[in-house]
Amino acid sequence: MALTGLQKELRSAVLAARNADGGWGYQAGKSSRLEPTCWALMALARVDGRTLDAEVLRQWPTDQRWLADVPGAPANIGFNGLAALSLMSDPRGSAGAQLIGRLILAAKGKRLDQSTVLRQDNSLQAWSWVDGTFSWVEPTCWCLLLVKKLRRQLGDEAEYRIRIGEAMLRDRACLDGGWNYGSSNVYGQELFPYVSTTALGLIAMQDHATDPVVLRARERLEADYASEPTPMSLALTAIALETHKRPRDGARALLSKHLSSPSIATSTLARAMGLYALTDSADGRTAFTL
Amino acid sequence: MAGRRSLSRRHFLATLTVPLVAAGCEKPRYDARRFTRPSRSAVGLYPATTYSTDFADVISRGFRDLGVDLRGKRDLLKPNMVEYEPGTAINTHPLVVAGAAVACQRAGAIDVVVGEAPGHRRDIEYLVTATGLLDQLKDHKLRFVDLNVDDVRMVPLASEFTALKQMALPAEVLKADYVISMPKLKTHHWAGMTCSLKNLFGVVPGAVYGWPKNVLHVHGIDASILDLAATVRPHFAIVDGVIGMEGDGPIMGKPRPVGFVAMGADPVAVDATCARVIGLDPQKIPYLKTAGEFLGHTDESRIDQRGETVARYATRFDVIPDLEHLRR
Repeated sequence: MALTGLQKELRSAVLAARNADGGWGYQAGKSSRLEPTCWALMALARVDGRTLDAEVLRQWPTDQRWLADVPGAPANIGFNGLAALSLMSDPRGSAGAQLIGRLILAAKGKRLDQSTVLRQDNSLQAWSWVDGTFSWVEPTCWCLLLVKKLRRQLGDEAEYRIRIGEAMLRDRACLDGGWNYGSSNVYGQELFPYVSTTALGLIAMQDHATDPVVLRARERLEADYASEPTPMSLALTAIALETHKRPRDGARALLSKHLSSPSIATSTLARAMGLYALTDSADGRTAFTL
Repeated sequence: MAGRRSLSRRHFLATLTVPLVAAGCEKPRYDARRFTRPSRSAVGLYPATTYSTDFADVISRGFRDLGVDLRGKRDLLKPNMVEYEPGTAINTHPLVVAGAAVACQRAGAIDVVVGEAPGHRRDIEYLVTATGLLDQLKDHKLRFVDLNVDDVRMVPLASEFTALKQMALPAEVLKADYVISMPKLKTHHWAGMTCSLKNLFGVVPGAVYGWPKNVLHVHGIDASILDLAATVRPHFAIVDGVIGMEGDGPIMGKPRPVGFVAMGADPVAVDATCARVIGLDPQKIPYLKTAGEFLGHTDESRIDQRGETVARYATRFDVIPDLEHLRR
């Protein structure tokens, strides 16, 4: 596969940002963190047309069996989900992915009594960012996708958690389609859907393509993605459209345009996500496809 | 939903909030010996009716009036940047941030960095571009740090209003010699008002705790504000009160022109003054009342006014019905 000039540039930038410990920080020169490391590993494997080698994730420090993003801080459940999705692309990573999968199966967002100021079902315990907090869209999407990919290995409990995770996403969908970070209505005011969270919701709900909530979200994403023209949003858009087998040339073209003239706010994470989204999978499989 | 208990806002918040007023036998939430404050605090209010104001001049005047000396210091400006929606007044205006940066440089700062960890939107590239901050950063050659994803260090909390004990805080905040909290003056549907103290939620890294920083809600919004304020101890506050937000703030409220910039080295006194300007009683805003007991002054008799008077800018902000009890 011949790489475009932009792909070569992004590949070089991502490689140059790698830390001596094998991981990546959000910006070059910063400490290695889970999220940018996962995206960088996936992007480089995809652009080089090779199997992902997640050695750095397999050796990642742990705290109570979770991959520890920051020593001493609570485990980031959402990014552990992302890490497990990355590990699943590494033939030697499946045991690690399953271990994280079991931890995620046992992790639940905090339950709260019903509120009159939030239009949502507070009884739905999907996934939170950190233990002891409420369920939010982004960690729920990563964890739900992981549990769906591991459902055969994780058993009956996985089916229950998938039902709850999907119910939570349907419950939190914005009236006009798509997702905010959590609530869709507070104090009677409708909250806006965002491109990045809507794309994530679509990735996690790709096996329900004809569900009215999913259809509305897809229409919302296709209508809105150009209004948030950043590498992160556009990369997630392109990936979401890929998982839904929808045309993604428009999103990719915008993504290329913005990555060709990066701003001072363009991070290593954004470059890695962009590189991944701009590159076709050699074998048609992706970490995000069920 | 049938059979499920319903919660009002107050009850809902009560489930989130660690009570600030401890029972008599409970141990104190802070060690008073660790917190010294001057006997009096000065707060400056300066006119700025539009965003075409020369904010570098306004803020420089405030620095002079308030005796700010930044020679040799590395400053961190921490604006409030949450969400972008055209025509709203959600964020600290980029021109106020740029003006503050120039004023800091004029006052002798050797480095000025702008840092923010948006609590609601994680796509920082979108926010800095859409809000216009990116243009100001470029024009003034300022460095920006996304505090959500900066390197962090676990730091013991200086007070115990939450049960957190310690918190990951961004390296850029910890290494700054001089932290300036730069909020937008807004009502806040959970906390009552958001100003320079509540603005400190924006130093908590989302990449550690998630978006929004729900861990702070679970441990109590008021309690979290106090622990953060006690730990970060911002050196100065500059409030964008040119156009504030009333009603259902901090995101869904309505813009309300007020026409001033508030400044001071005691963020508690600055916030208390701003509360008075918008018609709220600082003693009725729980976190502010408690902050006034150990971090700074809320009592008008201990606040020396510089620049203009509170009365000149007094603007009664609309508040949601649940917050009517905060009125002066």
